[in-house]
This record gives sequence, C-alpha cells and structure tokens, in this order.
Amino acid sequence: MDDTSPADQFIPAGLAALEIEADEIDLAVMGAVHELLWPPLLELLAFDTHAVEPERRADLSRAPE
Amino acid sequence: MTAPLDLGLRAQAAAIAAGEIDPGELLDDALARIEQRNPALNAVVETFPERSREMLAAAPQGPLHGVPVVIKDEWPLPWRAERFGAAELTVPTAPGESGPYRALRDAGATIVGVGNMHELGAGSTGNTSCYGAARNPWDTERCPGGSSSGPAASAAARLVAGAVGADGLGSVRFPAAYCGLTGLKPTFGRSAMEGHHMAPITTLIVSGPLCADAADCRLLASVLFGEELATGEASSLRIGVIRDTVSEDVTPEVAAACEAAIEQLRAETGGEVREIALPDLEAATLAAILLINSESMSGTTPAQLNDLDPELSPVARGTLKYRMLIPAAALAQANLVRTLMRRRLAALFTEVDVIAWPTIPAPAPPLEEPLVELPAGTSSADQANVRGGALANLTGIPAISMPVGLSEEGLPLALQLQAAWGQDGLLLDAAEALERANGRRWVEALPPLATQAEPTEA
Repeated sequence: MDDTSPADQFIPAGLAALEIEADEIDLAVMGAVHELLWPPLLELLAFDTHAVEPERRADLSRAPE
Repeated sequence: MTAPLDLGLRAQAAAIAAGEIDPGELLDDALARIEQRNPALNAVVETFPERSREMLAAAPQGPLHGVPVVIKDEWPLPWRAERFGAAELTVPTAPGESGPYRALRDAGATIVGVGNMHELGAGSTGNTSCYGAARNPWDTERCPGGSSSGPAASAAARLVAGAVGADGLGSVRFPAAYCGLTGLKPTFGRSAMEGHHMAPITTLIVSGPLCADAADCRLLASVLFGEELATGEASSLRIGVIRDTVSEDVTPEVAAACEAAIEQLRAETGGEVREIALPDLEAATLAAILLINSESMSGTTPAQLNDLDPELSPVARGTLKYRMLIPAAALAQANLVRTLMRRRLAALFTEVDVIAWPTIPAPAPPLEEPLVELPAGTSSADQANVRGGALANLTGIPAISMPVGLSEEGLPLALQLQAAWGQDGLLLDAAEALERANGRRWVEALPPLATQAEPTEA
C-alpha cells in the first residue's frame, strides 16, 4: 500500500515546476498548510456552482445587480 | 479628574476645540504614556516626535485637530515605508502619502506612532511580527488579536483614543474583540486605502477604526471615509441570527454574552430577532482565504521566493511558497462562491437589517500557544476566528465588533453585527443602541494596564 501523503507529491512537484527552492523547514510548513487547506479546497472544487451566473464587473461596494 | 489622554476621541477633539486642552501637551502626554506603558505591550513599534510635532504645527482645524492617533504598519507615511510586520515584503515599498495618512492629516490629527501588526497580516493573534509579539493590555500573556494587534493594544491601553487598522479577513474586528474595543470593518472601497501595497489588487482589504466606543469609531470612520457618517436611530431593528458553527461552536460564556447582547439590542430598538439560514459559510470562508492569499502574491516571482530574507519567520516563508501553488480553478470557484454569497446576502438583507454572531469564538488565547477550547474540540485561534470574519470581506459588506462582556478570567467578549452594503452608519447606530442598553458598561471597562497611575515628577 502506498503510504505517501498527497503533500509528499503535490508540494515538491509544484515547487519544481515553478523552480522554487525549499528547505526542510519550508517543506514542513507547507505540508502543515497543505494538510489544513487541501481537504476544504477539494470540497470547494466539488461545490456545485453551475447555476451561479457570474457577476459581470462586480462592484463589491454595492449589492449585486 | 480624568486625564486628557483618558478621554475618548471625540471628547479630546471637543476639549481641544474649546481650548480646554492644549494639543501640544496632549501630544507630549501621549509620547510619555507610550514610553511608560508600551514596554509591556509592544503595541507601538516606532514614534517620531519631531514629525508628530510638525504635523501638529501644520494641523488644520479639522474634526480631529490636535488629537493623537496610531496607524498600523500597513501604510507608508511621508517619512517611513510600511513593513507590514515583516522582515521583507516581496513588493517594493517606499515612504509616501498614503490615503489614511492624508485623511488623518487633513482632519488635523497627529500621528504619534506606528502600530505593530501580525507578520504579513497573516494571522488573527498578533503573536508573530518582525517587531516581536504585541501583547494584550487585559493580560499581557495573551494575544491582542491580529492582524491589527498594535492599533488595538494602543487604543485599549489608552496610549491613544483611536487607531487605524486594516481588515482583510477580520483584522480590525478580531483585535477589537480581544482588546475590548469597538472596531468597524467598512463597506469595501469606502475607506481610504491609497498607498497600501495591495490597494490596486485587493478585493478584500479595507482600512478601519478601532476606538473605545461606537461614537468615536463614527468620528474616525468619517475621517477615513471623507464624508460625515450622521448619527441615526436604530429602531425596530430586525436582527438575523444563524444557528451554525459560527454561532454555536463557541465557548459557553461567549454564547451567553452574545445572546444576552442580542436580546438587549432587540429590546432597546423595539426590534425582533429572526432565525435565518445562510448555507455554505465554510465554502465562503475558504473562498475568502484563497482570494486574499492569491491576491497577496500579485507581482511576486519565484526568484524572489528563492531569495527571501532569513529574518522572515519560517511560517511566513513556507506559507508564501505554498500560496504559489494554489490552483487557478479553485480561484475561479472562489469567485463564483463569492457571487453566490453576495446574492444570498442581498436577499437576506430584505428580511433583516443586521446579522449577528460572535466576533470570536473564545476570548484571547495565550501568546505562547494560541489555541482555543471549543465544543467541537481544540482549534488554533486562527482557524476558529476566520469563520466569523471572512464573510464580510468576501462579499464587501460592512461589519462591526463591539464588547459585550468579560470572561471569568477577565478577558473581553464581543458581538459582531453585519449589514448590507453602505449601511456602515446603521451598524454604528446599532452599536450605540447596545451601549445604551447595557449602560456603556463594556465600552467603559478598562484593562488593568490602562488604570496604572502616571509617574509623578520628582
């Protein structure tokens, strides 16, 4: 069974693709952030927004039209 | 007799205008008090007496003529670039006339110091900063809140009567709550933001006032808005409450204080409390987090991330690098969630005038380990706090935090009200109504550090 966590793959791959260097401490922090952020991020990606019509030229100082 | 510096913002302004207080002496008093009390707080990270005296000498007869204030380390001043609480920013900064500086200067205020802040604005506790942690005047071993930690601690300890903070996910409201102040997060775009290094890109951050009470916040907000926010009467207030994590996963004393305050507000305004539903708050919170994190990386290159200042905290370094990996699809989705929540709120605000829930789920946690014990379990204060703060920033609506009690340990508890776009004045009216209802008990409560006797001259 593969016991590699998604962070073990995602973070090094992402950093390598962007040519961003990271030491062990950076990786530990990124892993912790990933553990917190990634599950809800996946939920957000799965959130059904098909019925939401995008707001064109949204003015955040006012109610949506 | 009350020391001039212990008066509120509007009382100081009125006393100066009436010739009862000499503004030069008030400035000297503020500098002396910073020298006396700030070592225990680390709230003010820099003073510049000569610059302050120059501001006072040139101050117009505006609504804050001669009144000392503190501004967060988030905007440049003509003599100082902002540091954003960090050893390094990945965007260039330089001294200059920022919008809040101009607003304060044109109102006649005297900027007496720069307030500490959570490093990169990326926390609700204020325990991490290139200047060292700021401390809470109610208990200096506790977090003052963040990211506007220094402005809040300054105003709570009565170093000044008013301070300017910034709020991107709750960064005015959390420290206001932890420090027993009133703090307003204005409607997006309404308060001065020019000169902020993220001003051209942000869709979430606003400047906002932190003061003892709502009337003082109204005065400082009027200055930041460049328009007077007239006092009104909050009557027949329809108060919406939501039975969800944000109002239920809170400590029993937070729940009790907020429920009591909501009932007081209802009774005072002859209003009603309505249970309402606002689904998908968790998605809204994450959307706001993703958007502010991605906006903060605008203009930052991978090469810059490979050459970060070693003095930047390990958390900041790792977090900055992680932000570069946020998928674009999630940002597109976050914007759709924003639209969805804006439409839902627009519909809700035809049924209620304000939405009420606790500003913070638990009082200020220890600086050393900012964890909070909630019914659902132990959580980092940041994770728990953002649930109550992010919606207003995501959607652009105004929100206010006001003190509504003290915990058994003597730490402030706070209620948040949110209203429709442009209804900043209504929030201040409602906060004043609540102050009347509770006899101003909580806005006049002073932390131990603010009741210290002044040193007497030999």
